[in-house]
Amino acid sequence: MSIELPETAGVTEQSPEELEALLDELVIGRDDHLNAPGYVIKPDTVVESLRRLRDDAGFDHLSCVTAQEYDDRYESIYHLKKFDDPTQEVSIVVPADKENPVSQSANAVFRTADWHEREAYDLVGIEYDEHPNLKRILLPDTWQGHPLGQSYDQDQPQVVPLREHKNPLLEDQRAASESETMYLNIGPHHPATHGVLHVKAVLDGEQVVDLEPDIGYLHRCEEQMCQNSTYRYQIMPYPDRWDYISAGLLNEWAYARVAEDMADIEVPEYAQVIRTMGAELCRMAAHFLALGTFALDIYGDFTAIFMYSIRDRERVQNILEDLTGQRLMFNYFRLGGVVWDLPEPREEFIENARDYLEELPTALEEYHDMMTANEILQLRTVDTGVLPPEVAKSYGATGPVARGSGIDYDLRRDDPYGYYDKLDWDVVVEDGCDNYSRLLVRMREVEQSAKIVEQCLDLLEDWPEDERTIQANVPRTIKPKDDTEIYRAVEGAKGELGIYIRADGTEKPARFKIRSPCFSNLQTLPEMSNGEYVPDAIASLGSLDIVLGEVDR
Amino acid sequence: MAGLLQGEVLLPEQLADLMGLEGPLGVAVGALLGAFIVGNIMLAMTGVAGPWAKRKITAAFTDRFAVNRIGPFGLFIIVADSVRLLGKELIIPSNADRPSYDLAPIVLPASALLGFAVIPMGDLGPLNIHLADPEAGLALVFAFASIASIALVMGGYASNNKYSLMGGLRAVAQNIAYEIPLIVTAMSVVIFAGSLQMSTIVAEQGATLVSLGGIDIPAWYAFVNPFAFVLFLVANMAEIGRNPFDIPEAPTEIVAGYQTEYSSVYFVLFYLGEFLHIFLGGAIMATIFLGGPAGPVLPGFVWFVIKIWAFFLFTQWARSALPRVRIDQLIEIGWKGMLVLSFANLVLTAIIVGVIA
Amino acid sequence: MIGLLKGMATTMKHALDGKKFTVEYPETAPEVSPRFRGVHKFSQERCIWCRQCENVCPNDTIQIVMDDQRNGEQYNLHIGQCIYCRLCEEVCPVDAILLTQNFEFTADTKDEFIYNKEQLKNVPWYKGIDPLNSRNPDRGAWIGEGDGSVDYQ
Repeated sequence: MSIELPETAGVTEQSPEELEALLDELVIGRDDHLNAPGYVIKPDTVVESLRRLRDDAGFDHLSCVTAQEYDDRYESIYHLKKFDDPTQEVSIVVPADKENPVSQSANAVFRTADWHEREAYDLVGIEYDEHPNLKRILLPDTWQGHPLGQSYDQDQPQVVPLREHKNPLLEDQRAASESETMYLNIGPHHPATHGVLHVKAVLDGEQVVDLEPDIGYLHRCEEQMCQNSTYRYQIMPYPDRWDYISAGLLNEWAYARVAEDMADIEVPEYAQVIRTMGAELCRMAAHFLALGTFALDIYGDFTAIFMYSIRDRERVQNILEDLTGQRLMFNYFRLGGVVWDLPEPREEFIENARDYLEELPTALEEYHDMMTANEILQLRTVDTGVLPPEVAKSYGATGPVARGSGIDYDLRRDDPYGYYDKLDWDVVVEDGCDNYSRLLVRMREVEQSAKIVEQCLDLLEDWPEDERTIQANVPRTIKPKDDTEIYRAVEGAKGELGIYIRADGTEKPARFKIRSPCFSNLQTLPEMSNGEYVPDAIASLGSLDIVLGEVDR
Repeated sequence: MAGLLQGEVLLPEQLADLMGLEGPLGVAVGALLGAFIVGNIMLAMTGVAGPWAKRKITAAFTDRFAVNRIGPFGLFIIVADSVRLLGKELIIPSNADRPSYDLAPIVLPASALLGFAVIPMGDLGPLNIHLADPEAGLALVFAFASIASIALVMGGYASNNKYSLMGGLRAVAQNIAYEIPLIVTAMSVVIFAGSLQMSTIVAEQGATLVSLGGIDIPAWYAFVNPFAFVLFLVANMAEIGRNPFDIPEAPTEIVAGYQTEYSSVYFVLFYLGEFLHIFLGGAIMATIFLGGPAGPVLPGFVWFVIKIWAFFLFTQWARSALPRVRIDQLIEIGWKGMLVLSFANLVLTAIIVGVIA
Repeated sequence: MIGLLKGMATTMKHALDGKKFTVEYPETAPEVSPRFRGVHKFSQERCIWCRQCENVCPNDTIQIVMDDQRNGEQYNLHIGQCIYCRLCEEVCPVDAILLTQNFEFTADTKDEFIYNKEQLKNVPWYKGIDPLNSRNPDRGAWIGEGDGSVDYQ
């Protein structure tokens, strides 16, 4: 009755001392985080250190890059993990000079560093040497100052001279007559960009020569908002708004996990079961929408599949509404548990959920009839948008995108939290690496989630009446010790959703960094679509299942 | 099948007779009046189809309610929508190629309307709704229908928009790839009928194919040669640009293709033109494969309308369930698959007809 | 080819069974969960002006004005800015503020969404449901057991 743990025998585990020996002369100090040993290195040895860790110690997953400014220095932190065993973590801390913050780019070792370092440059102001394309990513190019830096003046007007801000289309943008290619703006208002995404595409006829996603249209300073809120209550409503496509509880869990680990809060087992059930319901709802919109991208109009998947998602949302009181922005988790027990009458709720799960296989059969069994859909998706596993790893792709490329990586199993390790379910992996595999992964994950929810319902029904504790005893204010640092991740709907928090002894975090799975996944889009046809590029974008709220935060 | 034989009095002459006019004047007035009537019937049908029927049908496929607030069955939405669409601002992009930009929305519905001139639509009371019956009727109707691609290229090119341009180019590539199989398949019907004249083709289908228990199955070419019927159906879907071959519009890829930049009246004209083309496609199908206006009890014209609406329903059904193919796959299916199959069909038909006859 | 036909058969089945999933909204008011969080209702009679709701509110939606004797004068809440997290209801020790299930509100300008205490008091219950009962289980952590029904007028 419990999930098989992954084969970790082949993955050697290094002690912190061994790693220090491996890095040897590069290490100039230690700065351990709660989750991982941290090694301080010089800003010009980033590539060398990361390469050694990747090639000799097997840390092949650059999960996140956090940048922050202290009173006396800037700092970039590279959070490394192993795809084979994400519980092995290590942090590389790179201090940079306060006056002239320059640090070497990790782009040569991990391709994902490209965007992460651009974000660090944009928001904090660290400059990365040898970076191929160091320009702003979330804020407009004309922005002045770096908003998360200490010296940033929030009241300074963003004056942009007209010559910098004039309409770029006023000039004749037509290329020279010899040019074979056409430049095309896809978005930010385009039917298939799933939000306000702008894709700069260079086309040769119908084929994509080059493609560059341009993000930041939905940047809402979520990190800063969390930095201005208290740990105990005020941060929790915000994660709902990152991946706002019904994946709220999964996001809340990311914050709950990191804050609970930081403040050392024990969550009652009963609450963990409720959390697991709620989170999986959310995953089902999110995947239904992913299926529907992917079908929309392939089929064209508002077709039947889209409506059918919305119908099934709606029913999940009704269950979630009964449980949490809201349909999208749940705010249901609290540090140390959840806010409400199952709704009364409990039998009715359980019955309701079971009814739904019973009808689910019929609904899924319908999707298979209409999508996976459809020859034209196969023609369209098989072997298009190919993302080889090595490339996916280098870009830090996670979630269904990675699992569709044959990477057996799921934090629910590999870095267990909640009640997952005591339940019976499988991690879905497909080896096709194409759009079709990613579609299949999502469809099969819905089945697995249903399986988890079913087991949770059984557990909840039979739970002893006097042990139904939904919240641990948590103090009304939480003040972690000064300079406590932690990075923790959970398996969100789109992949690894991680949060880094640095405490400064107050009841608000000093640095709150979100590692968004969509942000890393979207980076793979050029890899998948260069050389493909426009419709396939659109389909690949759909298969990534991005939510711009989470990409831009 | 009386009333459909060659030499039957056509609508313009009937009208001229009714008004007591004779000679060239009578023919001219009768023809204009007849064209006015037929054109308006077709436009009225698209008016019902576009804002109302299409929504109702799509809603049925997707388990939804649709237009049911205004008037009986929501039918008055047609009025509301016309007011809404016509009341909108007509936006013309800067640097649009003016004459061609303005002409495209007129050419498209006009080409489709012209096609209806040679279609025999059966009788309604004393009237025989059939405007003209030239000897090369079938060739003429295909010629009219293909003018549509010119309109799409004009609109796509003149809009000064890259999405429009791509839509226009796609439309041409698609129409060329599918026009040939379409016409070659239609030729197999011509071999059966021995004539390009529409009334002859319809009349030939009046014969009895087999008699099952007292019920006569007519020799509609859809029954005589179902293979050609299916081929023609697929090629026709591509020709009129409906799912799974709606790539010239492809909303999720190139926004709305050639009509991206069109608004207000021009948009309405494009929209009408598209629906007219669906109905024209249905009319051709009905005429050369489904016995034209033939059918029991009801007047011929009613049967004819039912048949073209059945085709419209089919396009909407396909839309609900079939994904769009990619442009290169579409061209491949057209040139490598459909063309070969349609020629095979033509040769086989010729052999069969040659051997039997 | 079989797959295409299967897909078409599926949609046709849905078209023919005539079932609708959507509802005709204003005529068929949706059933909402008793836990649903809609527009707030405020009771000045119960409020002890402790300002906890103002403090806990994540995005400064609640504004309380008091005179120098700490008597409450104004209680303003911007229901258009509110994110409906229900933290105010959760911290309130006397059930003076409560989120009804009423989700239907419109206005011509954003300013009209700034409700004062009178407007907040007059917010109607959705379908006459007082949601307090269904929300009791978690309130023990804050105020102990409630005592009987609450009169908001």
